[in-house]
Amino acid sequence: MTPQVDDYLEAEIQRLLAEDDRVAEQGITVQRREQAVVLGGEVESPERRDEICRRITSRFPHVQITCDIGITRTTVPADAEEIS
Amino acid sequence: MIRVAAVGDVHVDADVVGRYRPALEQLPEVADVLLVAGDLTRHGTVEEARSFVTEFGGLAVPVVTVLGNHDHQSDQADAVCTVLTDAGITVLEGASTVLELNGHRLGVAGAKGFGGGFGGTCASNFGEREMKDFVRTGEDAANRLEAALTGVTCDALVALTHYAPVPETLAGEPPEIHAFLGSYQLGRAIDAAGTTLALHGHAHHGTERGRTPGGVPVRNVAHPVIKQAYNVYRLLSEEIQATLVHA
Repeated sequence: MTPQVDDYLEAEIQRLLAEDDRVAEQGITVQRREQAVVLGGEVESPERRDEICRRITSRFPHVQITCDIGITRTTVPADAEEIS
Repeated sequence: MIRVAAVGDVHVDADVVGRYRPALEQLPEVADVLLVAGDLTRHGTVEEARSFVTEFGGLAVPVVTVLGNHDHQSDQADAVCTVLTDAGITVLEGASTVLELNGHRLGVAGAKGFGGGFGGTCASNFGEREMKDFVRTGEDAANRLEAALTGVTCDALVALTHYAPVPETLAGEPPEIHAFLGSYQLGRAIDAAGTTLALHGHAHHGTERGRTPGGVPVRNVAHPVIKQAYNVYRLLSEEIQATLVHA
């Protein structure tokens, strides 16, 4: 039976994202869509994004997970702001 | 003019080493100092601190930091600070430093800060011991910041924290968690000291720009907010035309 994507499941996912030592992310959003969950936000490396998806899928194998997590760019700024 | 580069929430571990370095190597061309607004590491381990030093150490400009909540996760904050300071990186907690840059004195006063919330939804020092401990921790953090800020003599003063001093730069975060992202007491400390600019991180889904009730510009430089290796802010610029400066 497919588990319901409800408040409790959303809370469990949010806590896993922060408390799992291999994830430790507090900036990932969890959006419920019908029977699916969409993970959003940005992390510092592709390895971290892939690990998040692995951990969530492994912990909640019956939930459809869409991983929409980006990697934050590290480019040099093109301009500066005057502070007055 | 002083050019201040700033970023927060870089969460360095071995997998991040090398990602920032090309942009950091170009710092002397665009900035005179780099400020890092906490969450230098993922879990606050000594190994991660060494990775941070590998990435952010040995630069041609001074590096000044505060710790963030992630840097306390493993209860090794003192050891993390030792790794950083041994590498020539300044760590501020209720402390300040003054840098001579381009003939000006830049003062940087820093503290991690803590939660507590903002007017209308702030926590109160009332009830269970645990709640009073939470509020008192935030008050102590703000008091340390204010003492550091008011003790500096300089030409331009920057307040560096991890937690936010105003709610404006939290826009984008759920209002329900604002009390865990900053406190109005930090803003009051910044306003008490003639601060030129306040920089913070922590709020990954927040907004870059805000201002304290006293009028001090606040910038959320969390990496997911600024979406580049660092931002650059110019202070004491001689190029500003008074007619274009808005209050």
